[in-house]
Amino acid sequence: MKYITTIDDLQYTIEIIDNHQVIFDGVPYEVDFESVSGQPVFTLLVNGKSHEAYIYDDDDGGWEVLLKGALYPVAVVDEREHRLRAAFGSGPTQSGEYNLKAPMPGLVVSVLVKEGDQVEEGDVLLILESMKMQNELKSPRAGVVSRVNTKDGDHVERKHLMLSVN
Amino acid sequence: MFNKVLIANRGEIAVRIIRACRELGLDTVAVFSEADRRALHVRYADEAFLLGPAPSSESYLRGDKIIEIALKSGAGAIHPGYGFLAERSDFAQNVIDAGLAFIGPKPSSIAAMGDKGIARKTVSAAGVPVVPGTEGDGALTDDQLLALAPDVGFPLLIKATAGGGGKGMRAVDHIEEMPGLLQAARREAEASFGDGNVYLEKLVEGARHIEIQILADTHGNVVHLGERECSLQRRHQKLLEEAPSPFVGDDEELRQRMGAVAVKAAQSVEYVNAGTIEFLVESDKSFYFLEMNTRLQVEHPITEAVTGIDIVKEQIRIARGRQLSFTQSDVRMTGWAIECRVNAEDSHNNFMPSTGRIAHMQLPTGPGVRVDTGVYPGFEISPYYDSLISKLIVYAGTRAEAILRMRRALEEYRLVGVRTNIPFHQNIMDSHRFMAGQFDTQFVEKRFSMERADQQRESNPQVAAIMATMVAHTQTQRSAHIIRRSKRDTSNWKWLGRWERMHR
Repeated sequence: MKYITTIDDLQYTIEIIDNHQVIFDGVPYEVDFESVSGQPVFTLLVNGKSHEAYIYDDDDGGWEVLLKGALYPVAVVDEREHRLRAAFGSGPTQSGEYNLKAPMPGLVVSVLVKEGDQVEEGDVLLILESMKMQNELKSPRAGVVSRVNTKDGDHVERKHLMLSVN
Repeated sequence: MFNKVLIANRGEIAVRIIRACRELGLDTVAVFSEADRRALHVRYADEAFLLGPAPSSESYLRGDKIIEIALKSGAGAIHPGYGFLAERSDFAQNVIDAGLAFIGPKPSSIAAMGDKGIARKTVSAAGVPVVPGTEGDGALTDDQLLALAPDVGFPLLIKATAGGGGKGMRAVDHIEEMPGLLQAARREAEASFGDGNVYLEKLVEGARHIEIQILADTHGNVVHLGERECSLQRRHQKLLEEAPSPFVGDDEELRQRMGAVAVKAAQSVEYVNAGTIEFLVESDKSFYFLEMNTRLQVEHPITEAVTGIDIVKEQIRIARGRQLSFTQSDVRMTGWAIECRVNAEDSHNNFMPSTGRIAHMQLPTGPGVRVDTGVYPGFEISPYYDSLISKLIVYAGTRAEAILRMRRALEEYRLVGVRTNIPFHQNIMDSHRFMAGQFDTQFVEKRFSMERADQQRESNPQVAAIMATMVAHTQTQRSAHIIRRSKRDTSNWKWLGRWERMHR
């Protein structure tokens, strides 16, 4: 299967024949790819060179590859999907609601906005305490607070939807 | 004289203290919260007792219960570690009143150094230079502080009088932002120490944070074990320390001068046991007393590495009434040590705390590498306690060799299940400014960015692309396989029967 793989502004065409053969931008390579005992740690041998990386699903349809301390955000789409996207514009747009989900379990120290508040990009929405640190969670864009789902003193689980900005 | 020690702490430091006790032939008693039943310190200790629910206020901060357990288990001494009850003079006093030994300083020394206002007054009376700031030891209101601020001068620091570890601390550039920051500092100080009192201190820019380790016995001997460089901090939390300091380097005169001042500061409060005097050092080598930490420090292993002195064992010997087995002239720093604090914080996501179960862990080892940790594969990193997972310490003959060794060790380090700040440390080890020793306390926050550092690293996007594509491909194949299953020609019931038989 052929994939179009993008890292920032770099784009590669990668065809995977099987676990031992890939064609990278038209050049065939002998590879050996293994997962380390079911963990998100993977080892890859290419032409005798050994590489090891952590590969995470980024919860957003993409991948994050941590290779020798550097983090690469990687988007992988197959050729057919890539053609479809090219034909119909660049897929989902950045409009709609921003949902602030708890990035970690913790204690809501203070909700600094209420429903209907106008917020600017970078405004602190709430303070979440975890591991004895108070973390200011900021709005990634301007908008109106459409929903507040938590209050001061709440214990929240990871990914709990705390508030939304429209 | 005691033969059994209760360790009133958790995590790596509890394990560290248990190890020292073991080597001295002392029995150990661990205490734990409901979240820590399977923690390493519980597994390593000879005895272990439950304190209460996970929040520290109901477990590790319950001094009354801890003393009760010590008495019940027949422990003769309590080691508080760092954090939690380590710098609470009332706890130390209660321990002594219960007829137990407190492995640490006298309650009066903790109290004198614990209130930063009193500490500043005491040491400056003893002739130790302090950073300019608000004087006196009373509680000042916001209005009073706002009025005093212009005299101190901007930029300044709001600091909690009960503070430590950067909690309740805020930097202020302009008076307009001060009321909001005062509120934030007081809120954090109240939450962390149960005391919202704050004071002001001039923010010395471009300064380094260098501290001196001291040891004092009950016979009046006070020695210093040289310095530690702790300038690499983020939000006033130390991230990486080294000994000696590249700034002090081979300036033995400066080292001895700082050491002598540290000894004087300790003597001004009749200090006993291990303690650390923190200094701010300016580029012209003038230095100011910042505060004294009346406890064992997180970063004590680097001093152990370069001096060969086991600080925790010395603490226990001192508490048993022994004299120090060496004098100042016996203390020599040889070689170079670096410690990286490996925290459950995602350095690629603004150091956001990361919790979860450690699925897989492979720690670095080999020549010159020490790892102090309290976790293991299968252990759950909970949101209740601090984010320190382990301390990675390397030791080598020279600073350059130590940096290369740390790079090697960081690359070996594998931890799956939570995100860590290891990539941050890797970027620091590759940073030219770090290698040249040119950094101050603001380096990480003002002149360092993960994105830029990532870009400057030898990059290999092709390999990252191949690996991500192969993972995505495997996932697509797997989901395609699941879809294809429904196309099988036998009935679902027959298939289910076969499947169940197969898995029986």
